[in-house]
Amino acid sequence: MSDAYRGETYYGRSQLKPSPFGFMVSLYIYLAGLSGSAQMLATIGDLFGGRAARGMVRRGRWLAMLGTVCGPALLIADLHTPQRFYNMLRILRTSSPMSIGSYILTTFGLTSTVTAAAQFLADRCGWRRLLGVARAASVPASVAGAGLSVYTAALQSSTSTPHWAVSPRSLAMRYGASSLATAAAALSLGEHRFGDPRTARRLDALAFGALLVEWIASARARGDLRRTGVAAALSGSAPERLERAAAGWGTLLPAGLFGASLLLGDRGRRASRSASLLTLASGLALRHAIMLAGNESARRPAASFAMAQPRNLPHMES
Amino acid sequence: MQVHARARDYPQSQFGGVLPHEAELTAGVRIQPGRSYGFFTDTTRCIGCKACEVACKEWNNLPADNVGLTGMSYDNTGALSANTWRHVAFVEKIAGPGGGPAEMPPYQSQWLMMSDLCKHCHNPPCLEACPTGALFKTEFDTVVVQQDICNGCGYCVPACPFGVVELSETDGKAHKCTLCYDRLKGGLEPACAKSCPTDSIQFGEIADLQSRAAERVEQLHGLGVASAYLYGAPGSPGATGDLGHLNAFFLLTDAPEVYNLPRAPTRASNRVRPSLATGLATMAGFALAAIALLGRRA
Repeated sequence: MSDAYRGETYYGRSQLKPSPFGFMVSLYIYLAGLSGSAQMLATIGDLFGGRAARGMVRRGRWLAMLGTVCGPALLIADLHTPQRFYNMLRILRTSSPMSIGSYILTTFGLTSTVTAAAQFLADRCGWRRLLGVARAASVPASVAGAGLSVYTAALQSSTSTPHWAVSPRSLAMRYGASSLATAAAALSLGEHRFGDPRTARRLDALAFGALLVEWIASARARGDLRRTGVAAALSGSAPERLERAAAGWGTLLPAGLFGASLLLGDRGRRASRSASLLTLASGLALRHAIMLAGNESARRPAASFAMAQPRNLPHMES
Repeated sequence: MQVHARARDYPQSQFGGVLPHEAELTAGVRIQPGRSYGFFTDTTRCIGCKACEVACKEWNNLPADNVGLTGMSYDNTGALSANTWRHVAFVEKIAGPGGGPAEMPPYQSQWLMMSDLCKHCHNPPCLEACPTGALFKTEFDTVVVQQDICNGCGYCVPACPFGVVELSETDGKAHKCTLCYDRLKGGLEPACAKSCPTDSIQFGEIADLQSRAAERVEQLHGLGVASAYLYGAPGSPGATGDLGHLNAFFLLTDAPEVYNLPRAPTRASNRVRPSLATGLATMAGFALAAIALLGRRA
């Protein structure tokens, strides 16, 4: 256990510069995770779920288009010289998660578009053969989707921003779990409304498990932040309180509701719907809280000096 | 420093143009591509005149950031920014009991002054984060942002462990010290070092500067300044966490934090692999769980 940094600072001025990322990037991280995981679940449903999963597969493929359409738009809008967006694909730099992510998003976007287009034509025009095309394109799309769900954590951790940098592993687990929980919750909503209640319950069970994993990963991240002295520098700040709420109530409450709905069986639809909506809301709150907490930690010299102590070298987490 | 032998070739006080290899005359070093150049900033020689700040702004055509007073010290610049690539920090060491002024040491030596700048890291986190390749290592082993490629994504800003790089609101690109890349190409010493009246800022080849700095620390220790140490030289504070040495390194006499420097900065890109691997493993676990749950079908 380590304490707050109590040494000198330079007139309390920031030692680091906060990232220029704000709500648009938080929203991107959220939608990318939701869409990527939805594509993964749709592909699994398609390959292993049989007839009953067909509706879920279709809706998962539509959901993947959310990230495909909104993702690049949000990212380009966030650039400070947006007309040069294509320079993102000028090189591939494996030391930069933003570079890796540009290729993940491009791959995901292209393959998801082929998948969704083939699904659309198969549904509307009755060209059933195109479902094979959809399936073939959806496999690389869901691999890219898994990457899309978690690379954003690597992007934030591979900076010098204290709140993000001290828990690279836990942050990736949190984002992966939250992405999967939100995707399962969104698909469960659709299933309860239009589809198969049994598939909905299985998605509920998946969301329930993912929320518990997210809660555990958040507790681990909290440990990383405490041990490195970053938590002490942020305690009581608004982003820290939002993060606590999103990681605490935002996971336990919907998990409890999902659990109740699973126990209630057919009578648990309303509980499941509330749980899904809560999961979707807390996923966005989590991303934005982490964004704000990171930027705030970069502004506070007590956070950056606490992190940059020799005892936190070379591996900053357990 | 000794006057270079070539100085005798130029007795006049006005020149028609740039002298060939002028840095040889002003800094005693001939600038050649393929070698490593940087700054040794000896803070014990800094008098806080800010000539470096002015010379930098003049040469690089940088606008003023703010023309107000910070009210905290003689430091009215505040911090490095997109438009400020040299920043002189001022720290007044008054630690009297009860908050009042303590006994003043002679020669105003209660003042610490340090001319800060981009460290031109050996393994630069800004460069490693840059997705467009706008940031690159020059033939002089310095780190520069190519303004015609940068698209203003801003990822280099949080990547920097020293809080150096910043996006300009004016042109939407990232900016920082170029170590006067244009001057180096022309054989000129960087503007800040050339303007420094006390040789607190010394420009030269890295190996040469490092041995010069080590000698200076010895000399200061001999004079009774036991607190003198190097920041950013190999194996010293600042050159930690796989960053390698810093091409712009410093001689300090107080804790790094006093000068707003991190004691043990790290290389951000070392976190890419653990984070991505954990994330993908998490997703693989969920995929297996989803197969088990969704796959039980008639």
